[in-house]
Amino acid sequence: MESVISLTSVSRRYPRGVQALRDVSLGIPAGQFVAVMGATGSGKSTLLHCAAGLDRPDGGRVRLAGQDITRMREARLTRLRRDRAGFVFQSYNLLSELTVRQNVALPVRLGGPRARTVDEVLGLVGLGGLGDRPVGELSGGQRQRVAVARALVTAPAVVFADEPTGALDPATGAHILRLLRTAADRDGVTVLMVTHDPAAAAWSDRLVLLREGAVADDGPAADATRIAHQLQAVAA
Amino acid sequence: MIRQAFRANPWAFLGPAATQALAAALVTTGLGLTASLDGVPPDNGIADLGIIFTLSSAYLTVLVVGVTMGTAIAGQARDMALVRTIGATPGRVRRAIAAQAVLVALPATAAGIPLGLLAGYAWWHGLAGAGVVPSEATFRVYGGTVPIAYAVTVGTSLLGALVAAIRPSRLRPSVALTEALVSRRGRGRVRTAIGVLLLAGGVTLAVVISGFDAATADQAGLFVMLAMCVGAGLLGPVLLRVTLPVVRRLGPVGALAADAVTARARSLSGALVPLTLAVAFAAFTVVLGTTTAHVTGVAAPAADRWLEYSGTGAYTAFAAVAAVNTLLTVMHARRRELAVVRLAGGTRGRTLAVVVCEALVVTSTALAAGAAVAATTLLPLLHTALGTWRPWLPVSWLVAGIAGTTALVFAGMVGPAAAALRRPPIEVAG
Ligand SMILES: Nc1ncnc2c1ncn2[C@@H]1O[C@H](COP(=O)(O)OP(=O)(O)OP(=O)(O)O)[C@@H](O)[C@H]1O
Ligand SMILES: [Mg+2]
Repeated sequence: MESVISLTSVSRRYPRGVQALRDVSLGIPAGQFVAVMGATGSGKSTLLHCAAGLDRPDGGRVRLAGQDITRMREARLTRLRRDRAGFVFQSYNLLSELTVRQNVALPVRLGGPRARTVDEVLGLVGLGGLGDRPVGELSGGQRQRVAVARALVTAPAVVFADEPTGALDPATGAHILRLLRTAADRDGVTVLMVTHDPAAAAWSDRLVLLREGAVADDGPAADATRIAHQLQAVAA
Repeated sequence: MIRQAFRANPWAFLGPAATQALAAALVTTGLGLTASLDGVPPDNGIADLGIIFTLSSAYLTVLVVGVTMGTAIAGQARDMALVRTIGATPGRVRRAIAAQAVLVALPATAAGIPLGLLAGYAWWHGLAGAGVVPSEATFRVYGGTVPIAYAVTVGTSLLGALVAAIRPSRLRPSVALTEALVSRRGRGRVRTAIGVLLLAGGVTLAVVISGFDAATADQAGLFVMLAMCVGAGLLGPVLLRVTLPVVRRLGPVGALAADAVTARARSLSGALVPLTLAVAFAAFTVVLGTTTAHVTGVAAPAADRWLEYSGTGAYTAFAAVAAVNTLLTVMHARRRELAVVRLAGGTRGRTLAVVVCEALVVTSTALAAGAAVAATTLLPLLHTALGTWRPWLPVSWLVAGIAGTTALVFAGMVGPAAAALRRPPIEVAG
């Protein structure tokens, strides 16, 4: 079966010489929930950005949802992201002056597929009653649920999440993770999630560990305690 | 802390600085004219020109510098909340803001004074060339130029900044940090009421002064215009909404633009004040000239026309620069918002199309408001002087005015947005 996300020998060097990714190869099949962990500065965010076409690697190839995006033109790449990918960031990245409903409708208004209604996804993330509140008035957990709703409104093939629970308490974080887990199980959404939290990684199917920009370990995700040990071994 | 704020966003203060430099230039020119006209016999008819120009410039400066500085400070509300969180008292924040305002005004004024001297010199030569002043009279520099120019710019800069800082410096840091600036919606009623009052006052005054002699009416007309433009700015959130139903019909891009305008109505209203001023000034002078020529069948003497147009030209240019600067400041504060739209799937072209729609809303609102202000001051005047209620403007002038206003707004909104969209969105939004 073809991978929904596939990286082949991807490298990325930032100006001023930091080699953020070295020769990373990774194939992720549809519906898999993958957690990426590693010490700070190990290249997790860079990996996610390259896989999502938010950043371009210096070497190697990246395929996303069946298309080679390595040298794809910016406008076409944006449309592919809009139609096939959803994003959840630690810092929410919502328009805080607009209402919940307006934020969730954003990808559709920008031309993305209207796969689900706004009310449907708001119900899905448990924000049914808050549609008309400005996002600026919501709590962190509520905002992140808005972000998840926005990511799911186009029924994307992939959801990219960079520390989606980083700013949330464990209970609220678990709620967000359950939403991602359900999306993978029920709708076959592929999830690529960067996290620092072993408990969050334990929700995934597969754990990829990075060390200094290279894949140090790649295998089925175990429970939180075991993941914490694996992480320590790699970071040491 | 002050230095940090500057280093973090030097661009945010470029707008106020440019506006203050021009303000200093206007005041310098006015003072120079006053000094130079000192020797001209009082029956010349333009003896008061220098004083009128200086005073008008000072009033205009208070308004326009206040607006640009206020917009720049409002964009810093979040930073203020941050330093409040880590222990700065409201008083300390206000002092830092005041220092910022002074620091911006000092170099701006230093740049503006020579500019004003040059402009004054050129203008004087123009006046002499047109035969308005005796050709042997020389342009003189007023001795008190430097302290007066500094007093005007530093004073207005301080005033604008401190007024804008009152609210954010008093807010509980928690409130400001949650970005819940949306909760300001409640204050809209007082604002709207004052706006309506200013407009109504302007209309009444315009009717009253139309009965006075031409010179008095002309001078008072400026105040009517200023009052009404401030009124239009205060009513901005309401006025900007008028065109939105039309914009929403343009499809999803229009709907996004309409939402953005609604959310940013307050900061865009700041730009509406100088924009409306620019449109109103230009429309008033041009239409007065063309209608008079049309009705009486004779063009005004070249000297009079020169005087009228060069004076208005200076005000209009000043207001136009202030408008572009205010818009630039507003758009600078919106870089992150644009990046978020890109991350949500907006292509560069489509994201820019949203900004273009917003710019069209601002342009049409400013044109309508400016035309209304100009009409209010002009029509009673036309009726008294020429006995007609009907202004006359050649189509080519009308088209030029619309094109000019559109170009201004696009330079302030679409230009910076296009520049901001060149950066990868993930770098901006993070
Ligand atoms: N824009 C940039 N310019 C230069 N260097 C960068 C840039 N972004 C990241 N780096 C560097 O690349 C390396 C990898 O960064 P990356 O953000 O991918 O790490 P990370 O694993 O996500 O870290 P964290 O857990 O702290 O978020 C780091 O050494 C970082 O300093
Ligand atoms: Mg990171």
